[in-house]
Amino acid sequence: MNRLTLLMLAISASAFAQDPRQIIEEVQKRTRSNSQRYAGTLEVMGGESRIAIKKWVFERLGSFGQSKAVLRFTAPAEVKGVALLIVNHPDRASDQWMWRPNIGRDQRIALQDRSTRFFGTDFSFEDLEERDVDQFDFKLLGDEGGAWKIESRPRKSSQYTHSIMWVKKDNYTITKVEAYNKNGLARVIDYRDFEQVKGIWTARTTEVFDVGRKSHTILKFDKLEYDLPLKDDEFTVQALRRES
Amino acid sequence: MIPLLFTILAQNFEQRGFIDNSTTFYPQTALNDPAQIVNETLFRWEVSYKVTPWLKLSGAVDATTDTHQQVERALRLDFDDRSIQRPAFSLRRYSATLHKGKFTAELGRQFIRWGKADILNPTDRFAPKDYLSNVVDADFLGVIAARVTIESGNNTYDLVWQPWFTPSRTPLLDQRWTVVPAQAQGVTLDDLGARYPGGSQYGARWNHVGSGYEYSFCFFDGFNNLPLFSTTFDAVTNTAGLQRYYPELRLYGADAAVPLRWFTVKGEAAYFSSTTPDTDQYALYVIQLERQVKEWSFVGGYAGEILTRAGNPLEFAPDRGFARSFVGRAGWTIDANRSLAISAAVRAAGSFTRFEYSQTYGQHWRATAALAWIRGDMTDFIGEYRRNSYASLGIRYSF
Repeated sequence: MNRLTLLMLAISASAFAQDPRQIIEEVQKRTRSNSQRYAGTLEVMGGESRIAIKKWVFERLGSFGQSKAVLRFTAPAEVKGVALLIVNHPDRASDQWMWRPNIGRDQRIALQDRSTRFFGTDFSFEDLEERDVDQFDFKLLGDEGGAWKIESRPRKSSQYTHSIMWVKKDNYTITKVEAYNKNGLARVIDYRDFEQVKGIWTARTTEVFDVGRKSHTILKFDKLEYDLPLKDDEFTVQALRRES
Repeated sequence: MIPLLFTILAQNFEQRGFIDNSTTFYPQTALNDPAQIVNETLFRWEVSYKVTPWLKLSGAVDATTDTHQQVERALRLDFDDRSIQRPAFSLRRYSATLHKGKFTAELGRQFIRWGKADILNPTDRFAPKDYLSNVVDADFLGVIAARVTIESGNNTYDLVWQPWFTPSRTPLLDQRWTVVPAQAQGVTLDDLGARYPGGSQYGARWNHVGSGYEYSFCFFDGFNNLPLFSTTFDAVTNTAGLQRYYPELRLYGADAAVPLRWFTVKGEAAYFSSTTPDTDQYALYVIQLERQVKEWSFVGGYAGEILTRAGNPLEFAPDRGFARSFVGRAGWTIDANRSLAISAAVRAAGSFTRFEYSQTYGQHWRATAALAWIRGDMTDFIGEYRRNSYASLGIRYSF
């Protein structure tokens, strides 16, 4: 490789690095997969003591705005079999149905308020949504500890006024998000225990701290798989009933 | 080798269940029921086994007992829920589900639920209930049926054939959820059981999911699972004999759900006609709004009825009894373990209000305390239960 090529690469990398939108696009590109499955464990902590633990199996088909996902609770025992089907759309809010075995019927759910906490945990439904790059405006705030510090402001309605995220320069992984609402810092989300699965750097542990409630929730991914052969007919309301 | 075999089999086996004990305190005695404390215990175990990717077997068994003779004391295994009392041991579900592509068939005893509304489901005709302990919050009973579901794009077609009738279980005549009119005081009531209809029932439903809306149309031809009563009177012994019978019923129904920016609107309506003499013909409809605000959820609406032909006044029809009411529910998820709910049905002549607090302990235990307040006139379906306000305490171990 000659000096000129090296110089051109350095210039383009530098220019690339200064565009926060391109950085986030690269994050998305590196995490894109056609399907995903994991077993999730959620620990809800009030202060220093654990007050609840929930487990589920999550499956997703498709990616970024056009995906379908099914989440089936496996623990605690009383919610075993409760399932949620999410059909995402690029241009409008997702369609969601919930299956509760005790009533034997699917129920259409509409989340007019995406700040609703996810099954009593410190995650809101919005925190667990896929973030498409076109739904935000970005601003590079600087560098910090080998990571880009990027501010994102939502274009559509959100509980948050803005968020600040840290993206590692070496592997384009998001390691931390601070989410602000009109009252100030609302939630801090930490991503850690990164591991490469099928070439995708994935945080095995996500921890969210609710500043107002002073409680935190830890989400751990187990048995994580990408690009596995899932069928479209496993992501329908009928599939919720069939597999309950 | 054997442990490996068990491991492979266990991967396809799923089970869940609970044991639940609840005690209900009634501050007032009823004219036909002096008991003020009722205790019930229910053990339920549900299992399923995926034999192949296209065949799944499901089963559920109930074992129950109580202090109020609502449960039989006979040692038999029930499979069709036709008894007047609740069986002590019953096969709640036994079915095989076959699935291939867009085609799903379930054969055997199963649960079939239709409708989109949450406060009342007029189109839910394959879903009899057990009203023995409570006419407000009743448990569903399975039906013996064949159900075929075909999915095609955004459309789902549901065809059901039910060859064996399963009735709703009505309150016992000598207990508080059967209200004896004042003019019948002193008359001995004799429960003459039930006449079950022969013949099968069938229904079809088409559901369409559109861009930001969902609707369905359905048809049902069969029998009402809620009974009318025929009466005999013996003046010598001053005894009235009451026998349940189940009129023919034909239903034309529709439902819809439309999520909007501020509310989700859900509606459901059905028109009921019958060829059985002396039966009512009527329409039931529900319109409801629901909304979530942070940890609060709200569902509220109106359930209405339009009577087009009046027939036999001696009937047990809680679905119609709760119509012509404003019905609502508010729920608050306090945290991952605690919740509070208030539900109400209100109209001029009667009201029902229920408060419920529920808390989990660890991974298996849940305690639930409830307080129900019933007010109204004796001429009103809700109001006639005004001596049945209650407090209850339940504890459940789930596994």
